[in-house]
Amino acid sequence: MAFVAIRHLYKEFDGIPALENVHLEIEEGEFFALLGPSGCGKTTTMRCIAGFESPTSGTIEIGGEDVSRIPANRRSCGMVSQSYALFPHMTVFENVAYSLNIRRFYRGGLSDRVSVLAGMLNRKLGRVNRETEEKVQNYLKLVELSHLGDRLPGQLSGGQQQRVALARALIMEPAVLLMDEPLSNLDKKLRNSMRVMIRDIQKKVGITTLFVTHDQEEAMSMADRVAVMSEGKVIQVDTPSGLYSHPAHSFVADFVGSSNILRGEVFPADEGEGSWIIIPGEVRLRSDSRREKGEAMVLIRPESLTLLSSAEAAGQGENRLSGSIRWAAYFGAKVRYGVDLGPFALQVDTVYRSGEPLLQEGDAVMLTVEPNQVVVL
Amino acid sequence: MKKRLPRFDGLTILQWTIFLFFLVFLVIPLLSIFLVSFTGEPINLPGSLIDSRIFSTTVEKLSHASLEGYQSLFGGSRYLTALWNSLKLSMGVAILVTLVCLPMAYAFARTDMPLKKTFAALATVPLVMPTFISSYAFTLMFGQTGWVNHIWRAFGGEGVLFEIQSMLGIVLVQIFFFFPYALWPMVAAFKTSNSNLEEASQNLGAKGWFTFARVTLPLAGPGIVSSMLLVFTISFSDFGTPIMMAPKNLNLIVVEAYREIAGFFNWSGSAILTVVMVLVAAFFFWMQRLVVRGKEYGTISGKPSRVKPVANRGVRTGLTLYTLFVMMVPILAVGSIFLSSIATTWGYQALPNGYTLDHYVTIFSRSSQNILNSLILASGALILSVVIATFVSYFVIRRGSSGLDFFSSIPLVIPGIALGIALIQTFNTPPLQLTGTAAILIIAYTIRRMPYMIRSTMGTMMAIRKEIEEAAVNLGASNLVAALTVVAPLMVPGISAGAILVFVTVVKETSISILMAPTDWAPMSLAVFQNLLRGEFYTASAMSILIIAIVVALQSIARKITRDPLY
Repeated sequence: MAFVAIRHLYKEFDGIPALENVHLEIEEGEFFALLGPSGCGKTTTMRCIAGFESPTSGTIEIGGEDVSRIPANRRSCGMVSQSYALFPHMTVFENVAYSLNIRRFYRGGLSDRVSVLAGMLNRKLGRVNRETEEKVQNYLKLVELSHLGDRLPGQLSGGQQQRVALARALIMEPAVLLMDEPLSNLDKKLRNSMRVMIRDIQKKVGITTLFVTHDQEEAMSMADRVAVMSEGKVIQVDTPSGLYSHPAHSFVADFVGSSNILRGEVFPADEGEGSWIIIPGEVRLRSDSRREKGEAMVLIRPESLTLLSSAEAAGQGENRLSGSIRWAAYFGAKVRYGVDLGPFALQVDTVYRSGEPLLQEGDAVMLTVEPNQVVVL
Repeated sequence: MKKRLPRFDGLTILQWTIFLFFLVFLVIPLLSIFLVSFTGEPINLPGSLIDSRIFSTTVEKLSHASLEGYQSLFGGSRYLTALWNSLKLSMGVAILVTLVCLPMAYAFARTDMPLKKTFAALATVPLVMPTFISSYAFTLMFGQTGWVNHIWRAFGGEGVLFEIQSMLGIVLVQIFFFFPYALWPMVAAFKTSNSNLEEASQNLGAKGWFTFARVTLPLAGPGIVSSMLLVFTISFSDFGTPIMMAPKNLNLIVVEAYREIAGFFNWSGSAILTVVMVLVAAFFFWMQRLVVRGKEYGTISGKPSRVKPVANRGVRTGLTLYTLFVMMVPILAVGSIFLSSIATTWGYQALPNGYTLDHYVTIFSRSSQNILNSLILASGALILSVVIATFVSYFVIRRGSSGLDFFSSIPLVIPGIALGIALIQTFNTPPLQLTGTAAILIIAYTIRRMPYMIRSTMGTMMAIRKEIEEAAVNLGASNLVAALTVVAPLMVPGISAGAILVFVTVVKETSISILMAPTDWAPMSLAVFQNLLRGEFYTASAMSILIIAIVVALQSIARKITRDPLY
């Protein structure tokens, strides 16, 4: 039984569909990423879960309870937004303590209410009880910000603000943690270390997390499972490796990692598993994917192609393609070649060993690929 | 989001109430005065809506509407002279202020002129004084018995340096007290127009002055023209200077309109003058907007580049001395008033005969009611402005009410005298007989200063992103609690700064006070005005100093609030 279940979710803005039949199931404690280009509906999905958008139709269940009719402030979804949305007039400590104070405001007596309101209007009037103090300190320690409790958000770096927002969301012990592009405002280096930190904290706390991003690298490196969205629909849900090696759709193949996508005609093989694919130029490829006869898209990842110089490539075999180098791009650890095969071109990644000369434009080469690396979409 | 039927919740009702406020106290008065300019007789629009008899007389009057008034306006009457004189005055002032500010703006923006901070502080002095007090100060300096003329005669001059009660006098007062309005926009224009292009020009062999004339000026052009038009509108709407300094044979439109209504109760004439004033002010305001919007290449291209100090020491010294001179004139004016407020008698020599604090004692004992009135009226306007401005900003920004945005910015183009005449005309008779009450005075102040207040609150409200409110809701707060704990504290600085500025401008306000304040609600500015008319100069000076002191104190508080560096 899924912990968060989104069923048949539709959302329209002024008659324009933003979400179409979104269906997602997230397990308890899972780190789940929603991946897609901007405008694909991933943020809208998240805002529906948080209660800031009301779905046109469909249900959202958290922990087996239908939350569709529960207002946003009682949904138990902690949210970290792209801009962090810290309260600029409150210190780090007060930001993190906010939800505890609000809870005290609603559940406490009159004196608690007055004290909380006064405290929010003027720092000196607020009294913090021991319990709050301890809890806030614990969460500040969790995000490694214990020493900055008295600072205002404006005095913090982007990464620190991000961690305050995280602590502020976690402290109310929500059922689900929602993160909307939380790393996109940080520079690349910081982003990498924050990925590790967020993942560590998520594991430590064990909270079910929905992470929205347009960065496939981010989604792939952090999430247990990823849902790829496009134009308001969920295209595929799988583990990162599953998505990469067996994309269900050319959009996914193209969005996740770099890829060569070819159009061809599939014929089921007569003997054994797999199929034959004829691609333009009468090139025949053997694939382990089994498909009905017909038109199909074929994916070959650049790193699954092996590049042989024509001298090495003596003899015949399956899945051999001859062509010539058209361009080379040097990335340090690897070199990517564009190989011209006549009617089409392929990108090929090779591991670069230092000292080795790069192939030159016009060099004749032979490409090979294992049948299990030729994926029919 | 789906189209919804209008919701009848509290906020919607409030929104309609504010609409009604602008309708009753701004749109109807302006519309009425426009109609009066054709009928020549007072028109009671609010009454027409509820009483059928009033309605039929109104229709009757409207059927007699004619262009007679306008024909006499353009038939070479006093009015046409007044309009022509006012246009000449404002154009002259606009051009002269621009010329006066050019070297200063250049010095501020492009040179390492010393004392920049001091000069910037001194440039606020002209803005703390109501113009009729500035005019009075100039009379203390340049009048028949003014100290400047005593010095002039001591050095062998004859009579007076120049006649202060003249067009020249008015022009001089307006130049020295309006220049800050043009200075800062011009500094900004010089700062943003790209100095790389100047370097390019010099690199191609052009001389310094040639570069200035052919590259720097054209690039800063839109900014300069826009501030020139702004000064024109301010000068054209100014009432304080002309009422103090225009000689009998010099007709100016604001004074003429004031006399028609306050002296003769001539509705036809004052209505026509009001309509003309509003049209002229609106036209120039619109032109200014057009200039700013149209040619933005000068003002937005590129980031402000670093200041490359002008190498020539002589130029720098010249600019510094010149700036010092311009800045010193308003200071000397304030000083003259101060000296007069502590003088036993002054006028026989360059300096007072003796010094006393009696005048202050007098104003606190005899005019304490005026002080109190000012404070009450200003507080009333402040409260009303805060409430209306806060909700208008909310409705405009969060609910997209462009109608309120438009209504609330109309007063920007209405000269004070025009607004006063329009309000008196409409609220002179039942059912809404408010002329002569404190209420209408407070409403008039509020409407007049509303655009400035709203600009301040809207700015703060826009700075509070919706996400911050949502974050509070996400953390468990209801909409109301989120507004109380997050939005309200964040808006406090903007609201209080705006509120203080409203208070300050109401204390300074001249035209509305002189035109509309009844005797038992006379504020300080009216008291000063009447004292001057009665020849009680020393108490007038003491009261002026008090006004200036209040303004300075409150403005510095407002500045402190808005300068909060943390958010």
